[in-house]
Amino acid sequence: MLKITPKNARTRRILQKREPKIEENVKTAIFIRGNKTNQIVNEALTDLCSLKKPYSIKFSKKNNIRPFEDETSLEFFCQKNDASLFVIGSHSKKKPNNLVFVRMFDGQVLDMIEVGIEKSIPIKDFKTRKCSIDVKPLFIFNGELFESSQIHKTFKNMLLDVYRGKTVKSIDLKGLEHVISVTAVSNNKIYFRVYIVQMTKSDQKTPRIELEEMGPSYNFVLKRTKFAKEEVYKQATKVPRTLKPKKEKNVNVNEMGDVVGRIHVGKQDLSKLQTRKIKGLKRGTDDDFEKTTQDKKQKI
Amino acid sequence: MIHKDLLISNTADEYLKEYTRDGTQLLINQIFQSSLNSSESGIAVTLPDPITAIPREKPIPKPKPLTRWEKFAKAKGIHHRKKDKLIFDKNTGEWVPRWGYKGTNHDGADDWLIPVPDNTDQFANRREVKKQRISKNEARHPLKEELQKTILMSKTSTASNGKFDKVLEGEPKIKGVKRKFEPNVGDTKKEKETNLNILNKLIGKNDSVLNVRKAITKINQ
Repeated sequence: MLKITPKNARTRRILQKREPKIEENVKTAIFIRGNKTNQIVNEALTDLCSLKKPYSIKFSKKNNIRPFEDETSLEFFCQKNDASLFVIGSHSKKKPNNLVFVRMFDGQVLDMIEVGIEKSIPIKDFKTRKCSIDVKPLFIFNGELFESSQIHKTFKNMLLDVYRGKTVKSIDLKGLEHVISVTAVSNNKIYFRVYIVQMTKSDQKTPRIELEEMGPSYNFVLKRTKFAKEEVYKQATKVPRTLKPKKEKNVNVNEMGDVVGRIHVGKQDLSKLQTRKIKGLKRGTDDDFEKTTQDKKQKI
Repeated sequence: MIHKDLLISNTADEYLKEYTRDGTQLLINQIFQSSLNSSESGIAVTLPDPITAIPREKPIPKPKPLTRWEKFAKAKGIHHRKKDKLIFDKNTGEWVPRWGYKGTNHDGADDWLIPVPDNTDQFANRREVKKQRISKNEARHPLKEELQKTILMSKTSTASNGKFDKVLEGEPKIKGVKRKFEPNVGDTKKEKETNLNILNKLIGKNDSVLNVRKAITKINQ
């Protein structure tokens, strides 16, 4: 990979921003055309890009990219734009209306999934309200295959990776504007739909949800794949030690499900202990003490 | 459970929408069950930590290698401790600066009264003692300026006045050395004096620099 040495402060700052971080930034996605495309693919790229805004770059020119054959140009674009997600569109007689989703890790290709578009409706054909830019979507994955099949699992993970946005601790309810629904049943078919969420009042505490299709809408067919090597994937999903939750000491859960903890209390001050009040234990004045001793002497 | 037949039929889109609506309703219900914080801007929901492991973009950054000093300090167990600027004065019960104005290191220079053992100026005595202490301490640390001066001197002590010497890394830059010329028309008396001085040094009777015997042999060669 190309190694750049900064020649001025500005480039140094830019390169510093690109260095590996413990808490990472949102991944940038590049939407790029292959050698030959048609209207369906072009519109699909535009729409998928608009859903990812502002963390997306769209290349308008054609590029001689064949991700399954040659990865060098992907590596170059990744390094040049500091982007690690790719959606490559192409169209040929053999593979009509093709999209390839690519993920990179450390400047190298991690995994790829190729899908063909069987049926598509672009965003502009839906005359409805659209979601605003840079809002987090709700994800709905329908179908058991997303739990069992490797390719479906990867595709789910990839879509989450592309559209999840920034990881946040809390979210405004108004910000839940749209749902990305992905349904898989069989025959390698995947239904990709995007809906606008409308919350209306209901009898319950929670609002009633109504959906309206916002677009885009695709019926995908799964094609070629390239899965990540186990070793590399393990390294990529490693959680930095600083982000891991701290282990709690001296706290356990017993058989009954109660939390039992050991607490360290300082030494007790016994001199201030309140005991039963008896006359004999009463503290007298010094004069009293002397008197009693004198009495004793006299008795002797 | 999804009905495959319905997905193939013409009403697939309707079915998908209805199915997703139910799912979304469940998801929203789940979200509403977690803690809600209402504020002026709206109602915020605290989200649980993400479960799905999503690969990183770049590897976890490696810790930076220790510098030579850090390594040494670690081996020796040296910790950097910042000295407090203020220290507690037990006599007055106040916090006073360690040095400087109203500082504590003046050895009672501000005392308004000092008992006199034998008729000497005790104030002057104290000042003198402090001055000596300072100069003694300074003598222990050769001044940086002085060091640079000696470096400069040694640089120009070659046959070519250091013209062909290599400049070392971290070598101090020569500063403030400028050529100085006497004015063309000026004090004639002073000029005459300086020239006579030089001549005197060379051939003067007292402590002349010129070794006459050596000079004669040189000429005769």
